[in-house]
Amino acid sequence: MDRSLARRLTATLGERLDGPVTARHDTTEIRVKPAVVADVLTALHDAPDLRFEVLADLCGVDTGTDFQVVYHLWSEATPDWLRVICGPLPRDDPRVSSATFLWKGAEWAEREAYDMFGIIFEGNRDLRRIYMPPDYESFPLRKDFPLPDEASRSPGLGVREVEQMRQPIGAVAGAPARRDRSGLA
Amino acid sequence: MTAPQQTRVRSLDDPEVFVERPATLYDAVPPYPPRTEREAEFYALQEGEMLINIGPHHPSTHGVLRLVTKIEDEIVVDLDPVLGYLHRGVEKICENSDWHMVISHCDPLEYIASMFSEMVPVYAAEKLLDLRVPRRAEYIRVLAMELTRILSHGLYIGWLALDVGAITPVLYGFIERDEIAEMLAALTGQRLLYNYMRIGGVNGDLNHEFMSRLGDWMGHAGKRLDDNMRLLNENEIFVKRTRGLGVLDRETAIRNCVTGPPLRATGVPYDVRRAHPYSVYPELDFEVPTRTEGDSYARYLLHLDEIKQSMRIIDQVLEQIPDGPIMAKLPRLLRPRPGRSFASIESPRGQYSVYAMSDGTDQPYRLRLHDPSFFNLEAVTQMVPGTLIADLMAILASLDPIMGGIDK
Repeated sequence: MDRSLARRLTATLGERLDGPVTARHDTTEIRVKPAVVADVLTALHDAPDLRFEVLADLCGVDTGTDFQVVYHLWSEATPDWLRVICGPLPRDDPRVSSATFLWKGAEWAEREAYDMFGIIFEGNRDLRRIYMPPDYESFPLRKDFPLPDEASRSPGLGVREVEQMRQPIGAVAGAPARRDRSGLA
Repeated sequence: MTAPQQTRVRSLDDPEVFVERPATLYDAVPPYPPRTEREAEFYALQEGEMLINIGPHHPSTHGVLRLVTKIEDEIVVDLDPVLGYLHRGVEKICENSDWHMVISHCDPLEYIASMFSEMVPVYAAEKLLDLRVPRRAEYIRVLAMELTRILSHGLYIGWLALDVGAITPVLYGFIERDEIAEMLAALTGQRLLYNYMRIGGVNGDLNHEFMSRLGDWMGHAGKRLDDNMRLLNENEIFVKRTRGLGVLDRETAIRNCVTGPPLRATGVPYDVRRAHPYSVYPELDFEVPTRTEGDSYARYLLHLDEIKQSMRIIDQVLEQIPDGPIMAKLPRLLRPRPGRSFASIESPRGQYSVYAMSDGTDQPYRLRLHDPSFFNLEAVTQMVPGTLIADLMAILASLDPIMGGIDK
């Protein structure tokens, strides 16, 4: 945990931060609003005492009510990872500006976030599906995306069904399975 | 999407005859108006240019990868990799399975070096649980991972040579790989998908068969590495096919988020083991080799240097490994407190990271897997314009992409 990093972040970003700087383990976390995220990333990249020049990861997250875009950055000026959580993006029209003007490599990561969550990155030159077929219409990693069957939804459910099938003939219908694995479900 | 246009294709009955058929979504030239700026630019052909489709099933694409290549004569003008042929939605699967099952789901991602792809979610889970792993377990993990790194790098050298037209080195690569695979089979019970790491430790302690195989191998590994180096390092054909090709400069590499050997071959000493230490790496003495040329040949030499460093690490691990338990005491059912964690390790291909979120249940709320080959493959589109089609394969092989991890 790098305490001076929080001070430097607050000094550089000021009121562009949405909430306090938090830290756990080796990761410092800041939250920003979608409107200022391009601004914040540029500041983090260019500020001489921050120099977050390596984009380690970019991903989308569905919190159940809205979406987030999460950036993980690395800098030689601090031993910590920096996590930038950009949110909330409204569910019906999630839009955020692209990070490709800083890191060209973010292009595919943003395509993936678009493919999986439907988040639109404004300024990405190649925002099309990357894994799913081009005529696919849903966004699979959204929390409301249905799973095809019960067994894949929860491991415990599948196990319980198999155990019920293995009950000896003549066992009382509805009796609990021999090993109670309800905790898994 | 507009009404499909017609495409001219060769007739199935008579290949000399061209017939018109409705274009489908999966044709190389999409029938609909281009969806993005980049697609419009790519599919607008200039005079003398043509599109050629390589893959998805092609031995030199290292997995199921399709490359739509725009060529002029034999020169590659532009490249549009099409992914997703191995996509199985492993992130969604992980969200619906419990923390222990994640390990075996993540195993086949980086199937050449699966010790790494199962290690990262374990680190992420341990961070969420605030867990202290016994030191012996950490040493065993490092030992297993460095052996896997040597295995993966050995195969890399063989495949790179195979893709530039040499058959012999891949056979030597497989000899090396087979010895290590047998060794790890004695340790973990599996040759390829180990499922060995556990949240809180490892599955089994070092055993006699593993140690005796390791001792045998260490006796001749250095000499065999030298032999392999003599075979390729100054081989004129190999050097001509790799030196000066696929050049990546420092700024482009960082802008494209390239990590691992391709980045270090451009002169950036970025290795997660040193840049952001994890496990017992701070206690081990090793160097981060770098090169400055940034071409395929530099990447090849860098892999050789890394094998030597991994051998140094293995020597030290065997000297320093303490006695003690190999698993932390944990309940069978893990329910990490709600929170987020980010774990990252240096896999043979670069920085492999996981962003895990827990909502307090026994299943991860979100498990983002980030494979280094994904960004490294993206950089190919920057490296190949202007090279021959035959060199495209050599450049691709020199980046060592693994489609299992890229497609997830």
